[in-house]
Amino acid sequence: MKSLHYLLPLLLAVSLSGCFRLLSSDGGGQGRIRMDVRPVDPEAIALPAGYQAEVVATGLTFPTGAAFDAQGRLYVIESGYSYGEIFFEPRLLRVEPDGSLTTIATGVKNGPWTGITYYKGNFYVAEGGELLGGRILRISPDGNITSLVEDLPTMGDHHTNGPVISADGQLYFSLGTATNSGVVGPDNYDYGWLKRYPDFHDIPCEDIVLVGRNYVSDLPPEPESAEHVTGAYSPYGTATTEGQVIEGRIPCSGAVMRIPVNGGAAPELVAWGFRNPFSLAFSPAGRLYVTENAYDVRGSRPVWGVADNLWEVQQGKWYGWPDYAGGELIDGERYEAPNKKVPNPILARHPSKPPKPVAKLGVHSSSNGLDFSRSDAFGYKGEAFIAQYGDLAPGVGKVLAPVGFKVIRVNVETGVVTEFAANKGKMVAPASKLMTGGLERPISVKFSPDGESLYIVDFGIMETGEEDLNPEVETGVIWKITKTEPGL
Amino acid sequence: MKRYFLLSAGFFLLLMLSHCGTARRGVPMFSPINLENPAVAKGEKIFMAYCQKCHPGGTAGLAPAINNKPVPGFLIRFQIRNGLGMMPAFKEEVISDEELDYLMAYINELRKTDKKDIDLD
Repeated sequence: MKSLHYLLPLLLAVSLSGCFRLLSSDGGGQGRIRMDVRPVDPEAIALPAGYQAEVVATGLTFPTGAAFDAQGRLYVIESGYSYGEIFFEPRLLRVEPDGSLTTIATGVKNGPWTGITYYKGNFYVAEGGELLGGRILRISPDGNITSLVEDLPTMGDHHTNGPVISADGQLYFSLGTATNSGVVGPDNYDYGWLKRYPDFHDIPCEDIVLVGRNYVSDLPPEPESAEHVTGAYSPYGTATTEGQVIEGRIPCSGAVMRIPVNGGAAPELVAWGFRNPFSLAFSPAGRLYVTENAYDVRGSRPVWGVADNLWEVQQGKWYGWPDYAGGELIDGERYEAPNKKVPNPILARHPSKPPKPVAKLGVHSSSNGLDFSRSDAFGYKGEAFIAQYGDLAPGVGKVLAPVGFKVIRVNVETGVVTEFAANKGKMVAPASKLMTGGLERPISVKFSPDGESLYIVDFGIMETGEEDLNPEVETGVIWKITKTEPGL
Repeated sequence: MKRYFLLSAGFFLLLMLSHCGTARRGVPMFSPINLENPAVAKGEKIFMAYCQKCHPGGTAGLAPAINNKPVPGFLIRFQIRNGLGMMPAFKEEVISDEELDYLMAYINELRKTDKKDIDLD
């Protein structure tokens, strides 16, 4: 017993200092998750005083975006693809006043459709391109689909995203990277695409020079299980050398690009060096912003503890991927995950020093859909609203509690982040974990044309394991938030 | 030594009990954080730059919660300067002494914010 007197303080100190290493992951999709039903209850959602939630539509399969036509009617897209290698035909649906759904257009199995906007009589949709490469589509009100751009290099981890259209008629869209941090590895095999496209890899937007760092990995199952050596910006199993130049080309990975809204011109580079630039939006002041899903702890070059970001997009800038995180160089133990190697830089020269983000958002929060409040009637005019899909732990890295699963607002002048809509409870978590009828995985936000209502596109239930992701069909929901007490 | 043991055991008990309460603070669950004190308002911006990503709103995320951590402020200040476990140290060249004062003012405000109107159902 006496020895315990000496040991207890020591054990306490050790357990506290090693807290992260000792505790198991507790992500929002982990543990006991209710998969079979999706009850909805607006009262389960905490909102600021004077706001209320209501349900607009239910039963959607993987919804990812919403738009309004010139008559103010609501439309929603179903993605047609989800992580977990689930493929459907993507759809454009009109949400009728009674909540029923009318199919306007059906795409091919090349999702995910990641975003939609309406402009002068037509819909514009970003087709992710998991099977055939990304495309930007124009869809007429009677459902005719025309491709404005094709063969975008987004068959990997991240997809073709956007679009948003500027006042001068330029359609902006974004392309996610093929990999987590520049090196093709076993995680890409697990995601599924490396089996389909064994030569696919990241493409720089300008010529780059490599350090020549290589990574050893193997792929299950047999017969591919021999060790392979892979370098950055190269096909799996291809080593690189010090000073090797990788030629840049356009379209490229991790970039924001634009085309005239009527098409007819090759994509033009706006900015690059993003990892997964998911959602673009113009502020009321006309500035372009983008949300970025940052590094995961997976693959051959895992990076630990990196925030998702909200960036202001500036013409010609490089934003740091794959060697910077939130404007800081990835150059040491600070980014080393437990039991993993330090992720040192892989570029011998950096195009420039990247800027600082407007706001740093939760690590693994999957900060996705973005829109700005433009109305005093709703409030928070000029602030950015962001849908946080929520973590995919433990596959993307360990978390000690669920991260995301809510809608936040960001003051873009100060970088201050405030919760706007989140489930009630001791902690913020998806409804399927809390066993309530609230938010599950918000993936997009869209203000109504009059600016008085905020629509939240809720992807639905997704269970997450170390290697498996299990999304549940027909659990997507559209929520509407309105201000009921204008004086507040 | 018995006193030492009892102190440690008491601290350990406090640590365990801290997990029973919510770490959530401010809107939309509770009243807004009081930012009338300029030091608290400045501290909020520093918190957003360095702390928010791992401790969203002071709750747990990648890292443990701050708001319901049963340790005195001076130990949190020490941990910020020196790091602990996976948490990196934030030295003077990153967060100045003056900024750290503002940051602690905000963290203390977060920790003491009234949550009597709690509705966890």
